[in-house]
Amino acid sequence: MSDDFEENVVSLFQRLLPVLTSIIFMLLAYIPVNLSVFNNIRADLGLACIYFWMLHRPDLFGLGSIIVLGVVSAAISSALPGSGLLAYLVMYVCVYNTQKFFNAKPFVVVWYGFMALCLVTLLVKWLVVSVFYGAFLPLSMLFFCYLIGVAMYPLISVVLAFMQNKFIQDDGL
Amino acid sequence: MKRRRSLFLHLNQLKLLAKKFALVILFLAALALMLFSKNQNPVLEQSTGATTSLVGAIVDVLVVPAKMLARSYGFFSDLATIKKDNRILLEENRKLRLLKDKYEALEVENKLLSDLLNYVPLPEVDFVSVRVVAEESDAFAHSMVAYIGNKNVAKGDVVLSDRGVVGRVDKVAPYYAKIILITDINSNIPVMTEKTRIRGVLSGDNTTIPKLVFVPLDAEISVGDRIVTSGVSGVFPAGLPVGQVMSVNKSEIKVKPFTTLEKLEYVRVVKYGIEGLLHTSEEETDE
Repeated sequence: MSDDFEENVVSLFQRLLPVLTSIIFMLLAYIPVNLSVFNNIRADLGLACIYFWMLHRPDLFGLGSIIVLGVVSAAISSALPGSGLLAYLVMYVCVYNTQKFFNAKPFVVVWYGFMALCLVTLLVKWLVVSVFYGAFLPLSMLFFCYLIGVAMYPLISVVLAFMQNKFIQDDGL
Repeated sequence: MKRRRSLFLHLNQLKLLAKKFALVILFLAALALMLFSKNQNPVLEQSTGATTSLVGAIVDVLVVPAKMLARSYGFFSDLATIKKDNRILLEENRKLRLLKDKYEALEVENKLLSDLLNYVPLPEVDFVSVRVVAEESDAFAHSMVAYIGNKNVAKGDVVLSDRGVVGRVDKVAPYYAKIILITDINSNIPVMTEKTRIRGVLSGDNTTIPKLVFVPLDAEISVGDRIVTSGVSGVFPAGLPVGQVMSVNKSEIKVKPFTTLEKLEYVRVVKYGIEGLLHTSEEETDE
């Protein structure tokens, strides 16, 4: 009985790991840093996590996970409510339709893929929010946020790949 | 067997359809959320308030190792400049003592003159100091989350640093509050130039330097002019320091805030006892 319970808990943890790690990375971007440069260009690390998990474990990262990330984004961010969810959905759709292409490709190709899809996602979000406010939001800040996000992707993917190898076993699911 | 297979196919198709519709529904929900947020929906505000307190608590825990790292870095970098800083502070302290004497004399004079004019003074201010837990500063929003504990903080309260206006409280959740900075696109503060009393509105545009709008065309504003709140809307009292004019062009006037908004650890949430134009969603529903 206790073995079953333990197995269930472990299995649940493994299923929730992608979304939990994504939430943690998302929240890390909000931690105050006493460096004005970094404080003004905060990357949306949630996008990198969505891209990684959708490519590597699409079975554990579905629309439910996107909704959870969207809710967390709306809770912590003062950006237009729903704009975070919209961006994550755009990323989800993009990766969903291109994941076959990136399958078993070298890391550089995957990274280039993130560069392209992240740009598309951020531009869609920028356009929608700009239309809503009736004013163009600063593109320069968006560009630097994008660059930081792209530059951090290898680091994020190393951490997430470590988590995946360490904690997620296929036979346990 | 064939019938079973066709049934199975139908189910699969239905599942696929449902999945496709789920995406469309979610996209529509995201757009609806944006539209509802414009009307300050009370249900939406309450639900985001609850999640903000939960997420705020998580960030509060995550911030501990990051702060320790930043502090240890700060400790070593401070060591290098400590002697120079000490000399500057001693000089500043000497100047401040002189100013204090002057200020006390002016206060006495001000009280005497106020009594003579039968002037009604502004209400006493009540404030709480709160710790900044999370910061957001990108192309989409400029805000922060602060830990307020059980203190009485309300939507619309003015947030100040030791140098001037930082922003206003936007949402209050249990233990945490969201603060909109003066650089955020949703921030519009009635201001005026300190010396010439020319009125305008300081409008954030999600850059680090907000702009001054609704200024009369013939207004003479020059670089270096101090900008203070005008108190017109009733949300911000008059005379609070905001910033300094950084550039004056034909198209726009840019104002650099006095406060370094990126380096705030603690801020003051001040209640001026002014009702203002901001009402909570609960009040609106009561009406």
